[in-house]
Amino acid sequence: MKVSCLQENLARGLSIVGRAVATRSTLPVLANILLSTDAGRLKLSATNLEIGINCWIGAQVEQEGAVTVPARLLTEFVNSLPAERIDMELLPRTQTLNLKCSRFEANIRGIDAQEFPPIIIPEEDSRANIPAEVLRRMIDQVVFAAATDESRPVLTGVLAEVSAESLTFAAADGYRLSVSSASLENGPETPLSLIIPARALQELRRISAEAEGAVQMLVAQSRNQVFFHFDDIDLISQLVEGTFPNYKQIIPTSYNTRTVLDTGEFLKAMRMAFIFARDSSNIVRLQITPNGGGGRLVISASSAEYGDNVSELDAVVEGQPIEIAFNARYLIDALNVIDTEQVALETRDPSSPGVIRPVDGTDFVHVVMPMHISR
Amino acid sequence: MPIRILPPEVAVKIAAGEVIERPASVAKELIENAIDAGAQEIHVEIAQGGRRLVKVSDDGCGIPADEVELAFARHATSKLQSVEDLYRVRTLGFRGEALASIAAVSRLTLTTRAADEKVGTLIRLEGGEIIHREPLGRPPGTMVLVENLFFNTPVRLKFLRSDTTEAGHVARLLSSYALAFPEKRFTLQNGSRLVLRTTGTGALYDAIVAIYGVDVAEQMFPIPRPEEDQPVKVWGYIGAPSLHRSNRLEIIFFVNRRWVQDNALSYAITEAYRTLIPQGRYPVAILNIELPPEQVDVNIHPTKREVRFRQKNLVFVSVQKAVRSTLMAKHSVPAVQVPRSPLAGWRPPARSTPSQAHMALELYRPGELPRLGDSQERLSTPPQTERLPMLRVLGQLAQTYIIAEGPGGMYLIDQHAAHERIRYEELKAQRERAEVASQELLEPLPIELSPRQATLLEAHLEDLALYGFEIIPFGGSTFLVKRVPAQLVGQAIAAAIMELLDAAIDGGKDFSWEEQTLITLACHTAIRAGQTLSLEEMRTLIQQLEKTSLPHTCPHGRPTMIHLSQAQLEKEFGRR
Repeated sequence: MKVSCLQENLARGLSIVGRAVATRSTLPVLANILLSTDAGRLKLSATNLEIGINCWIGAQVEQEGAVTVPARLLTEFVNSLPAERIDMELLPRTQTLNLKCSRFEANIRGIDAQEFPPIIIPEEDSRANIPAEVLRRMIDQVVFAAATDESRPVLTGVLAEVSAESLTFAAADGYRLSVSSASLENGPETPLSLIIPARALQELRRISAEAEGAVQMLVAQSRNQVFFHFDDIDLISQLVEGTFPNYKQIIPTSYNTRTVLDTGEFLKAMRMAFIFARDSSNIVRLQITPNGGGGRLVISASSAEYGDNVSELDAVVEGQPIEIAFNARYLIDALNVIDTEQVALETRDPSSPGVIRPVDGTDFVHVVMPMHISR
Repeated sequence: MPIRILPPEVAVKIAAGEVIERPASVAKELIENAIDAGAQEIHVEIAQGGRRLVKVSDDGCGIPADEVELAFARHATSKLQSVEDLYRVRTLGFRGEALASIAAVSRLTLTTRAADEKVGTLIRLEGGEIIHREPLGRPPGTMVLVENLFFNTPVRLKFLRSDTTEAGHVARLLSSYALAFPEKRFTLQNGSRLVLRTTGTGALYDAIVAIYGVDVAEQMFPIPRPEEDQPVKVWGYIGAPSLHRSNRLEIIFFVNRRWVQDNALSYAITEAYRTLIPQGRYPVAILNIELPPEQVDVNIHPTKREVRFRQKNLVFVSVQKAVRSTLMAKHSVPAVQVPRSPLAGWRPPARSTPSQAHMALELYRPGELPRLGDSQERLSTPPQTERLPMLRVLGQLAQTYIIAEGPGGMYLIDQHAAHERIRYEELKAQRERAEVASQELLEPLPIELSPRQATLLEAHLEDLALYGFEIIPFGGSTFLVKRVPAQLVGQAIAAAIMELLDAAIDGGKDFSWEEQTLITLACHTAIRAGQTLSLEEMRTLIQQLEKTSLPHTCPHGRPTMIHLSQAQLEKEFGRR
């Protein structure tokens, strides 16, 4: 293999595939990045067997070939090179990659590319094109609600429901549920649902941060894999097996109180309350009172050791007055991903779930279970 | 005082006391009779832990009308004819004591009809005396209703534990018989609640599912029954190493289908799991041991809970081999054999100081054997009364211990134990302020328990509610968790509840729900060993530890820190 490319392109490609490199694996080759020539470009690949990322960068290929080299070493070395041309040459006998850039040179010992598990692009069962911007918004609105503990594996994933006209993501961790939807053009004929690991979506969100066009999603249910493609990048992920809880029946269909607030003000007041609440299980109390056409929301938090805090917000309250307690962290997480100016909090009673929806905006619903303080 | 022969009614009560200790013993004797009678379906009902009522009905062969009275005579049995029979007992019962003993200490009603007779019999006894008898129509089989147990032996009555504990014993008994006889259908009803129902398909696996739930059953490895002729056959199911309990209660043996307790066998199994499961935890195993009847003496213990093997070693080895080979085959990573060091076999003197002793070993210069007697004075946990000195954090060792420097030398702090102490005191303070924060679950979480755990949980739902749990019964031994203490959010809820129940089972009478709930919550929400901490996190931890009232031990009683003084260091390095 003999290839030349620009330092900034290689550095960018390495940072993209680097997140799929296995950090603690018994298989040494998984700590490596596969470099291979592919139709006049240089292809970088990494996988931890759960997710795999391919990234193509522009290069001048003099001689075809492939090799894997330790990810960390290569990335750190390339990052410290000047923004100039890098010439790479593989010495096949020793599997050593020689890199030259300006007046710097390095030899990095690698592992035979044959040992690298192939990242196979699935034969497509179903395909959908999602605008990158919409996909990013949807990922942001649900991933935070996925469970981090492994006691119920399906909850560590995000449920994706794809149909001809729409795409819905849902995630829940046992205490809250986040559902985000968008309309699709030319979705698959037969609707399907799959559970994508939240981590895979987080990586997708990160590497597609600058993508502008559409992200192609391919589902290979027979192989239990999902595949995303955009620009010069592929991301492939195993799916989580199991049945996701029926989230639709969790979303309350009625409310006794609907409180419309300014999203920014609400978020600011919650953050303030959180400072005091974090010593007492993040618990904040919301006191909602209607008043003619308007009304107000009083947020209070207290720490037995350090003190307390009360904030008052103007609101448009419709229905009954109510006092209800929530985990401040959960409300902040949800409010953080709402991009409309106003937000509605719908509640029934202090033991029933609260529902947060943007007012006149995107298709997003967040359900959060209340907390209790017994005395 | 002259020696006299005891009047018969006194002798009977004394003998009954050996066989009938508690409601569960009544249930045991009656179930064994039902099984020996060839019943396919055995239904047990208890009320107030069996104190008020134990009822066992079966569809077995029944008792012929003219033998009914005889059944209540002492040493009357249909199961044994001669002394020779005693050496090859194939039935569960054989002494002919059970019915007589039960009748002596209760009000007993029996209805029965032998399969080949047209009319059945009802007989009623009180304190062993027949007070009523009449013919009665009923399907073939026998029903024994035992009411007001120990009504005439007030001392025995006083020794009974709470209704919940007694019901728990009955539930465990029924579970065991259901596992020993998977081809029979067992049901247990406690008051109006159905505690247990097995399907009687004949497959042990189905019985395990009915008793422990699918979650546990799926983690069990089968040991198939050996086909060839072996003197001792061992078969059944053993738990994967990932399945472990805090007590030995789920290590269950049947010797020729008789449920027995044998410490040596339990030990054989626990040993087979050594290094596979954490220390102080015990595996789950349900094992049948089959050997020729003349090789076992079951006539050792009044309740036959212990047996004697003629070839004890052979049984021991067979069990261990069966368990170990199944584990090896299923568990791909072989257990590591630790090379024997010259100190192997040496144990630290007291349970409370293991970390000191291990530490002492580390500190010796290579090649020099430690003088054991010294270890006590070399290292010491700081005196308990003293507040913590000012500590400067230096770093973390093995992602488990914090190394700190204080005015008196070096301190090693167990991060989990320390945080556990902090969490415990926080939770306790919250409790004293009567302020318990709880979080509702999005969807109720179902948990499946063993019948014993279920009975216990059911009785203590209100205690748990004080700590923010809301758990409701969901039929059988399944419960739904609807609300949990806020501290448990993000933790494995089912595991925490199981641990609490197991601790309650172990704790027995001295058990304090209040304290154990706090300890369990503290343990589950504390940082773990193996977690990397930043310097800042370690400093905060130490600061918080300084504020606690008992910074030197964790709520389980283990030390949170050990101390190596300046003087000791100097001595070790030969500076002095």
